[in-house]
Amino acid sequence: MKKGLTFTSILLLVSAIALLAGCGQSPKEKEGAQTQSVNSQVQTELIYASAKDINDMNPHLYTGSMPAQGMLYESLVENTPDGIKPLLAESWDISEDGKIYTFHLRQDVKFHDGEPFNAEAVKQNIDAVQANAEKHAWIKLSTKITNVKVIDEYTIELTLSEAYYPALVELSMTRPYVFISPKDFKDGGTKDGVSGFHGTGPYKLTAHKVEENATFEANEDYWDGAPAIQKITSKVLPAGETTFLALQKGEINFVFTDDRGADSIDVEAMDQLAESGDYQVVRSEAMNTSMIVANSSRENSPVQETAVREALWFAIDRETISKDIFNGTQTVADTLFSTNVNYAKVDLKKRQYDPEMAKKLLDQAGWTLTDGEGVRTKNGQPLAMKLYYDSNSSSQKIQAELIQYSMKELGVQLEIMGEESTSIANRRATGEYDLLFNQTWGLAYDPQSTIAAFTSDSAYKHTTSGIAQADELYKKIDAVMVSTDEASRQSLYADIMKIVHDEAVFIPITNGRVTVVAPENLDGISFKQTQYELPFEQMNFK
Amino acid sequence: MGSYIVKRILLTVPLLIIISFITFVLINLSPLDPAVVVLQAQEVPQITDELIAQTNKALGFDQPFMIQYVNWIMAVVQLDFGNSYVSGEPVWSLMGPAFMNTLKLTLVSSVFIIALSILLGVICAMREGKLLDRSVRGVSFFLTAMPSYWLAAMMIWYFSVKLDLLPTSGMDSYRSYILPVIVITVSYTGIYFRTVRSSMLSNMNEDYVLYARASGLSEKKVTLHILRNSLQVAVSIFCMAIPIVLGSTVVIENVFAWPGLGRLSVKSILSRDFPIIQAYVLMLAVTFVLFNTLSDIINAAMNPRLRKEF
Repeated sequence: MKKGLTFTSILLLVSAIALLAGCGQSPKEKEGAQTQSVNSQVQTELIYASAKDINDMNPHLYTGSMPAQGMLYESLVENTPDGIKPLLAESWDISEDGKIYTFHLRQDVKFHDGEPFNAEAVKQNIDAVQANAEKHAWIKLSTKITNVKVIDEYTIELTLSEAYYPALVELSMTRPYVFISPKDFKDGGTKDGVSGFHGTGPYKLTAHKVEENATFEANEDYWDGAPAIQKITSKVLPAGETTFLALQKGEINFVFTDDRGADSIDVEAMDQLAESGDYQVVRSEAMNTSMIVANSSRENSPVQETAVREALWFAIDRETISKDIFNGTQTVADTLFSTNVNYAKVDLKKRQYDPEMAKKLLDQAGWTLTDGEGVRTKNGQPLAMKLYYDSNSSSQKIQAELIQYSMKELGVQLEIMGEESTSIANRRATGEYDLLFNQTWGLAYDPQSTIAAFTSDSAYKHTTSGIAQADELYKKIDAVMVSTDEASRQSLYADIMKIVHDEAVFIPITNGRVTVVAPENLDGISFKQTQYELPFEQMNFK
Repeated sequence: MGSYIVKRILLTVPLLIIISFITFVLINLSPLDPAVVVLQAQEVPQITDELIAQTNKALGFDQPFMIQYVNWIMAVVQLDFGNSYVSGEPVWSLMGPAFMNTLKLTLVSSVFIIALSILLGVICAMREGKLLDRSVRGVSFFLTAMPSYWLAAMMIWYFSVKLDLLPTSGMDSYRSYILPVIVITVSYTGIYFRTVRSSMLSNMNEDYVLYARASGLSEKKVTLHILRNSLQVAVSIFCMAIPIVLGSTVVIENVFAWPGLGRLSVKSILSRDFPIIQAYVLMLAVTFVLFNTLSDIINAAMNPRLRKEF
């Protein structure tokens, strides 16, 4: 074996050298040298790896890469930890009845193609979004905008059919309410594609080779001053070994969590890079909650029972999942929303890992274990259910296996099934599941987006409709979305969170964060309120 | 010969029609509602019934199955594979460049695979049972058994990161070809040189060799004679090497971030971009059929007896 190895390495070396020599020195050599000069360019340029191409960057559709769209396009207002702040709108007024929003726009903004950003451009963009309303049904504001009116060159008025308190939050999102130069419109709209990608943001898209790379250059005329990082390149690389090796070599110098919350290199690789002294690893605060969703409305399934769901909750060892599966990068979640989510500072009873408690609950509910049997039964029915996980997520698979093992100890027969994420989404919509993995929308969207999804057929309607207080829950959700009074909103949200917590239909596991691996000397790394984009314009090299 | 070629090519037509039909049926057997798949591929955050109905109508999914197939195949004949569900761009505009990138990699690798296989096969056959033969076979066994992604990762680590000689990935210049070509060549040469070797060995025991030697032909001429006859057998295998390599670059393209067909197909499968998957499957099948036909024609040209049997 050893002899074979030596021979192999000689063979490989010889063939590589022969090939190199065979190619010789040609004028094309310059191209090749490009990759090696990356190290010296590091000081002004960020090259990040992304598993996906930036795709179609039309800001009014959903295929484009969110971090890239965040560099090009801007919204009227911005969502920050301190609430809604001005962005393209300097200020705004909301009418007494909460139906009319008047925005006063910045007057010093131009699109990347030199077109002026003004009330007319805002109107054309919002009308273009509304023209494709079916696609935007998830964002409730799209169903409530009835009219967009230009008051003067820099004033625009939005009329809603009823008061809708998250309006500003939804206007702040990465898509769809962001602005592209009306010159890029096709047939007066954007739903059938656009002819260019000119936004108002800090970076311009200057080159794009499909499935290879995309280049963004600083917008020198940016209204808030040109950003310090001159050039950002997004390079399409598969997650894992290739990305890690490219980071080691310096061909890329930046990676961050993708839009599904998955890291492109594993925790050990990150540590190794940080130890080398060339890189730093930065993690955001908790951004979302990964959880197991229980189908309370499924006929003949044991998960219909609150006691069974509660027992599951008690039987999951979150500490071990957080420590051993995520190496501490994801923290234990005790509630559906972490306390840094708006309105989520609610006092809810904790259910820590307690298998004895789980057994007691199951016994009380009549699910008993007869001697010599492995599975609990009730009226002859075995305590058996299925848990679906995303087959492309290695961490979900390990979690599912761990949970399956804990359930076996309790006398619960848990079958685990790995499926494509699309097929899991399908199950969620049709209600063909007992339990499945899911995650909340994330800081900028919550609690309203996840809670609005409780009532949606394609999202969590099957999860919530089987509980005793379902009607009351839905009434409160409808009420909170149109409520204009802060105190009543707070109490309504508290009630909603308490109902689903007590019913244990969303079993929280861990809180996810955004991870960034960046050059050691990069300053100003911060995060936005979403796990989908990063404020590159605030970064600079020391 | 001419009539043989015409007949042989005509025979591929029904085969291609059957393949196209199977491709279409297999994809349509998926239990998912195609409109839901399209909308999920476009990452629409929330799918409503109205949206599903609208999409079904827009893409013609509401029509009977056979009409859908006929529409599809009529378009395919004109190289129109429809639009990608994800990007909305014509499939051909995505497949074309990816196919060319993979083809470049395949052709360069195939040249190396064929040249090395003949070289090693001949050398080993000449030295049958000797140390050289045994060690080449041992090493090739070792290399073919090694997972190519692992070999690729080790090579990137050594030549790109440690020695800083080559780029780790991508397709920037001719230097980008070196590592992937080596990995593909190493993985396949081990298989193909054996064929050359065993074909040489079996020819060596043929009567014509004995006769040639007996009639005083030089050893060099005898060997060339054997080689010529052995390569006839190898031709069909080499012809199939090209489509095989073309269809199996998935792993290599993923490790080296090569913007080719393999990567495109994996991405399309993960996002269920059916028009691209259909085009990919069909294209590979067509390549196999064409190269198979080509190898038959070459064999027939070299061996007239085959033409008569047809």
